[in-house]
Amino acid sequence: MLSYVGRRIGIALLILFGSTFLSYNLAAYSGDPLAAIRESTDPKKETIIAELTKAYQLDVPPPARYFLWLQKVLGVLIGKPDFGIAVSTRIPVIDSLALAIPNTVRLVTLATILAIVIGITFGIISAIRQYSRLDYSLTFLAFVLFSLPIFWVAVLLKEYMAIGFNDFLAKPQIELQWNLIASLILGLIVAGFVGGTRKRFLISWGVAFAIFFALFFFASATNWFLNPSLGIIGVAVLGGLTSVGLCHVFAGLQNKKAFYAGLTSAGIGVAMYYPFNLLANGSANYQMIIGFALLMLVVSYFVGYLFTKVDKGPVITVSMLSAVFISLYTVLDRFMQSWQQYFVETDGRPIQTMSAYNITLDSNDFWIINLDIITHLILPTTALTLISFAGYLRYSRASVLEVLSMDYVRTARAKGIPEREVILRHALRNAMIPLTTLIAFDIAGLLGGAIITENVFGWRGMGSLAAEAIGAQDLNLLMGTFSITAFLAVMATLAADVIYTVLDPRIRIRG
Amino acid sequence: MSDSPVKAREIETEGLSQGKIILKKFLQHKPAIAGLIFMILFTIFVYSASGIHLGSDQARITIQGWWKYSHEDLLPMGVCASGCPSADHPFGQISNGRDYFALVMRGSEISLMVMVIIGSLGAFIGTVIGAVSGFFGGIIDAVMMRFTDFIITVPSILIGAVIGHNFGPQGVVVLAVFLGIFAWTGLARLVRGEFLTLREREFVDAARVAGASNTRIIFKHILPNSVGVIIVSTTLLLSSSILIETGLSFLGFGVKAPDVSLGLLINEYQSQFTFAPWLFWWPGLILILIALSINFIGDGLRDAFDPRQRRDVKRRAMAKKAAQQTATANQ
Repeated sequence: MLSYVGRRIGIALLILFGSTFLSYNLAAYSGDPLAAIRESTDPKKETIIAELTKAYQLDVPPPARYFLWLQKVLGVLIGKPDFGIAVSTRIPVIDSLALAIPNTVRLVTLATILAIVIGITFGIISAIRQYSRLDYSLTFLAFVLFSLPIFWVAVLLKEYMAIGFNDFLAKPQIELQWNLIASLILGLIVAGFVGGTRKRFLISWGVAFAIFFALFFFASATNWFLNPSLGIIGVAVLGGLTSVGLCHVFAGLQNKKAFYAGLTSAGIGVAMYYPFNLLANGSANYQMIIGFALLMLVVSYFVGYLFTKVDKGPVITVSMLSAVFISLYTVLDRFMQSWQQYFVETDGRPIQTMSAYNITLDSNDFWIINLDIITHLILPTTALTLISFAGYLRYSRASVLEVLSMDYVRTARAKGIPEREVILRHALRNAMIPLTTLIAFDIAGLLGGAIITENVFGWRGMGSLAAEAIGAQDLNLLMGTFSITAFLAVMATLAADVIYTVLDPRIRIRG
Repeated sequence: MSDSPVKAREIETEGLSQGKIILKKFLQHKPAIAGLIFMILFTIFVYSASGIHLGSDQARITIQGWWKYSHEDLLPMGVCASGCPSADHPFGQISNGRDYFALVMRGSEISLMVMVIIGSLGAFIGTVIGAVSGFFGGIIDAVMMRFTDFIITVPSILIGAVIGHNFGPQGVVVLAVFLGIFAWTGLARLVRGEFLTLREREFVDAARVAGASNTRIIFKHILPNSVGVIIVSTTLLLSSSILIETGLSFLGFGVKAPDVSLGLLINEYQSQFTFAPWLFWWPGLILILIALSINFIGDGLRDAFDPRQRRDVKRRAMAKKAAQQTATANQ
């Protein structure tokens, strides 16, 4: 295994060398970096051209110049990589990269996590209920999303989700007919997921419709969209319901231990509501939030642990996930408390369509600053999630269906194991193996792959940097972004192969 | 089905060739058939509307289409000064008077052409590399797969930029060819996987014992068995290649003015969304319809080529029948 990984790393480096060499030369022949200066009417342009040619060694033919570039970059081995200075902006490439990487990471992390979680969950549901109406609807939805160009989605989101919502906030009352239509559609979606016989379907549609209608009515009547809050009651109700739902999915409601463990975790979360808000209003920072989250995780782990003697797995899962959700609700509630202030600071147009954050925002408040980041994230994250979740949905559906037809699943069922356990313990674990490869590749492609999204939403990330560099024929800048992307891509291929062999012992590495 | 049970059983037991089974199953897949019909009609519609333009600037071969305007005509503004859709200009006009229907048709023509070139080139190279890699295995496989990894790292935006700089606006075909040369990686992996499993099968051993050469085994025995995987991944490649082309054109590294493509049209008129939304909707809807149809065709083909799919459909039909019987029994 070790020698295999070692050899593969060696080959990976070779590939990296080859691909940077090819890209360097391709980029060098894609245009003249001095074209703008050559066409200018500056009387001193001859000297400027000569100066730049010397500074950037443009007189050296590109294949040879690559090695000069490589020599500097290989400084990474002694901890001092030198990516050169960008021709167009005269800023060291490494500085541009240092600014771009956090933006890209912020953009893609949330979207990828959401896409993976939602896509796999829906894929599993779709597979378990194969050939149901829900399955057909999800399949159709996946195909539509597959076919959407992201720039097209982005324009629509800007128009309807940002501008439309901001306009709505000027007079935040949902009119009766819209409330009816929205509640009917949302109710239909919920009923689709509940499924079952026609009677059960219609009942759940009716109940869900009534709940949504009442909620929207309440929200309109109390101007909730302008001054949203959950309060301790809202957090408690949501947390309790989530914990019951989690118990139903992961352990079954007849598992009383899981049921009470989940509720206890949710209860601890509610008890933490006031201490958290007290701390949060004082001096909030990331360490505090992370500390709070870790504390909740540890406590809920022990709650799950204490409630059971045998078969601790599902109980601990329910307990910990309940804690995660109630913490999320508490933090969400804290953000809602700052919403009105943020609303005023943005002149009543809180959902942002461009750039990664508001540079003119004048606030030191932790919650306002992060709310600003979130409102900028909403649109690109939605666009990226919509586009990429369809792929996960299709793959996980196919993978689960494949596993469900296996003999060991039939054996498990024949032994009398409840269907929930068959799916959670026997089917899913095996179905997820092929997906790890897909996820590894996707994560590698992400840092460089969000070019169009960054471009449409005006984010200064790796993708827009690369596009800009190509546009300006800026070789150093381009190679800076490109070598990082290529490095990640090569490493992901390697990681995918290694993970696969670790997860699936049937696959043997030869040699 | 209205067929009598006896007749249905006869059909069930009748010996059908592999091809006939696949065709039958494909024809039963309604979305795929809808997609196929749409693609055929739409392609004929587009090419007959804008005519066929071949050759370079010096020797241009042009067959005029049935649409009265060309995408290059600068026309006076029609009934509507803002260029909104009218009987004369069904998709409206852009600010300099060009007819938007002609532009969209020309854009669809280019996008379809680029899609087909990328798809067929990618499918050909991918099949050859995947087949050789999977069949021979060992060192050849290792080298070819690392070569695939190498190709994956080359960004398509860079290829677009190089072609755009060196060939200018006339480079649509060249661009498509080069994108195709770099687009085969996913397909090659899939074909390789298929060949790896198939070459271990008994019929390959049997053929070898009978004295068949490698070429014969590949072309006569393994390739026909993996044609399902190849066709399905080719359709997926087609739908992704139209998105690659439009994405590149959107960023300004694909098809360049004065030529048009659907992505370029969306990019140019996205800023006018509020006051001229039709300029944004038409190319977008056509693009989505193309990609959606191809994805559905691919899904239908996958179901048709998958031997396990049949059992599931039958089981479902049987469950339905059983439910009907209990329902009638209860009445």
